[in-house]
Amino acid sequence: MYWAALLLDKPPGDASTHDELRGLATWALQFTPRVAIVDDAVCMEVEASLRLFGGKRALQERVRSEGAELGVAIAAWAPTALGALAFARADVENGFARPLQEGLDRLPMEVLSVVEPHRPTLARLGCKTLGDIRRLPRVGVSRRFDKELLGALDQAYGIKPAVHRWEELPETFSARLELGFRVEQAEALMFGARRLLLQMCGWLAARHAGTAAFTLKWAHDTMRSKTAGLGGELTVRTGAFTRNVGHLSRLLSENLAKTELLAPVGELTLVAVDVEPLEEVSASLLPDTVRQGETLCEVLERISARLGPDRVVRPVMTEDHRIEWAQFWRPAAEKLPRETSSIDVPQPSWVLPEPLRLAVRNHRPLYQGTLQMLAGPHRIEGGWWHRVEDEGAEATKQVARDYWVALSEHAGVLWVYQERLADDDAAWFLHGIFA
Amino acid sequence: MQASLPLWPVAPPPAPPVVKQPLADDSALPALPPRVEAAIWRATELGTPVTEVVATGWEQLDSELPGGGWPCRSVTEVLQAQPSLCEWRLMGPALRKLVAAGQTIVVVGPPKRPHLPGLRHAGLDDKHFVWVQADTPAERLWVTEQLVKSNACGALLSWLPQARQEQLRRLQVCAQACEGPVILFRPIAAQHEASAAPLRVTATFGLDWELNVHILKRKGPRHEGVLHLPSIPGGLEAVLTPRLMTPSRLIANRERADVLGSATPRQAARRRVHA
Repeated sequence: MYWAALLLDKPPGDASTHDELRGLATWALQFTPRVAIVDDAVCMEVEASLRLFGGKRALQERVRSEGAELGVAIAAWAPTALGALAFARADVENGFARPLQEGLDRLPMEVLSVVEPHRPTLARLGCKTLGDIRRLPRVGVSRRFDKELLGALDQAYGIKPAVHRWEELPETFSARLELGFRVEQAEALMFGARRLLLQMCGWLAARHAGTAAFTLKWAHDTMRSKTAGLGGELTVRTGAFTRNVGHLSRLLSENLAKTELLAPVGELTLVAVDVEPLEEVSASLLPDTVRQGETLCEVLERISARLGPDRVVRPVMTEDHRIEWAQFWRPAAEKLPRETSSIDVPQPSWVLPEPLRLAVRNHRPLYQGTLQMLAGPHRIEGGWWHRVEDEGAEATKQVARDYWVALSEHAGVLWVYQERLADDDAAWFLHGIFA
Repeated sequence: MQASLPLWPVAPPPAPPVVKQPLADDSALPALPPRVEAAIWRATELGTPVTEVVATGWEQLDSELPGGGWPCRSVTEVLQAQPSLCEWRLMGPALRKLVAAGQTIVVVGPPKRPHLPGLRHAGLDDKHFVWVQADTPAERLWVTEQLVKSNACGALLSWLPQARQEQLRRLQVCAQACEGPVILFRPIAAQHEASAAPLRVTATFGLDWELNVHILKRKGPRHEGVLHLPSIPGGLEAVLTPRLMTPSRLIANRERADVLGSATPRQAARRRVHA
């Protein structure tokens, strides 16, 4: 048996302690299904999971670093649950350093909570450590004190089996965190939100699932102004189902950076909205070439979280000869249509957002010098079916243009067109560049 | 002792004293094993980078670049007299290979709107193309750095007209972990500034369907002269007549004549496509 006891860094009996213990237990359930809340600590038995998490040392290291972010003061390891708890309270991390009996005997007797009701009596008997209690005659102890004392001692020493009420994994994830201080800036919420994200990712790992959307809600504290309202919320969506803490917290912090809080915040809640089973990549026996870094999807998501989704785009091509409508741009996160069109005529590689009207000299258009027409005209006409509402009046986007490939000595190969205007007039426009 | 237990394989009978011969005379040297030969760098040769490269598509250019192509895991600067002049003509053949391998091309802050129907002629594909519209210099740098660090895109093309020396050095350090080529397009004025990019080229277009590339900086000796690389953009080769293959002559004629209508559009080759 390989038990860990996780002790929170708060004094026991605090009102929010129970919530935090449940949250910690939810996070711990990703390591093992055998997680129990004992007194004011979370105990978990991980012997069967050691290989999966890379061995004792790796698991201990992970529990220590992630636990510290969740508010765990100390994680102690021992062969029994009560033993681990006793070590944790005595501030000893490794209960395996010496034989269990020897290690426990040295601890002060207050480390077991069953001792508390009998502490004055035991103290008058001259007991200071657990070893002192064990040296008392067993029959006398069982007659003089209640049976819980001996029972708990035996369970701590591993003489008697212990019975636990295992924590169950909730069906949905919703975790609350009361902040110990008022937060006035949205970025500073990340400190608390990261703790909740760790819990959520633990929950997702235990359910073998990933999330594509989660909501962070915050409640304004009681000293708020009347106009501020009760609180606010922020939903973060990801392109693919994931439970990568690093990615989710980067996304959240990008989103929080753009959020403004109306009033100081005292409490946070995190809810996993969209959850789906996630297929994991199995670990390989051989050291494969692992691609370092994020996937493109993740990094684009992060960039679009900062710049805005409309500024990270992919092209979608349509069957239209008019250049303005030959393609449009969709946010990169959205799914693209499967079919693509292919119009196989010469086309420029850059287009101007708006055609640029060119000056004309000697009936020749000018753009950084006189243009030399090379090939054309290439007539593009159509669009009478394309009706748009333009300031109340209906208009069609019909075009009738003669496109030419033109060469400028300074600006390269250009795609210009001539269009008839009203009054038999014609004008030249620059529309694209063959770069 | 040494005679009975030779530590090294017995040397062949006294080889001709190589040292005494003039080193410049290559033919006098005994041929080295190919592996040794490959590992030796002579000062007259181009430096060979340790990383992989993407071939540029022109043998002429490949032979001048260390490693024979655009380097991966490093930053390459392309300097142009004005933006949107010949980016795709220069990079197209290399990008075609990357796209064919299923890699995504990401462009950051291009000067104009990329037009995919035209870019398809350069081998790009709408499925493997992402446009990040970063406008301010700070945004461009941030996006470029994030993409370089993530090592997720097949090739990164970024327009950084205002990047400073130390910012480029930072990108170059990050790029050592990036498996694809990182191409930065910058104005020609930047050629006078120092840069951390190991490869810097200037590119302009020639009137007669060619690109003029000069390598400003590379690992190896100075590059003299200009490379003239044939290049016809955007599927135009289908519509060019032999006369149009040398537009410089047309322009010269026009200037000589300087008469109205001497080379009117009417004379140019026609090809109509009705929409």
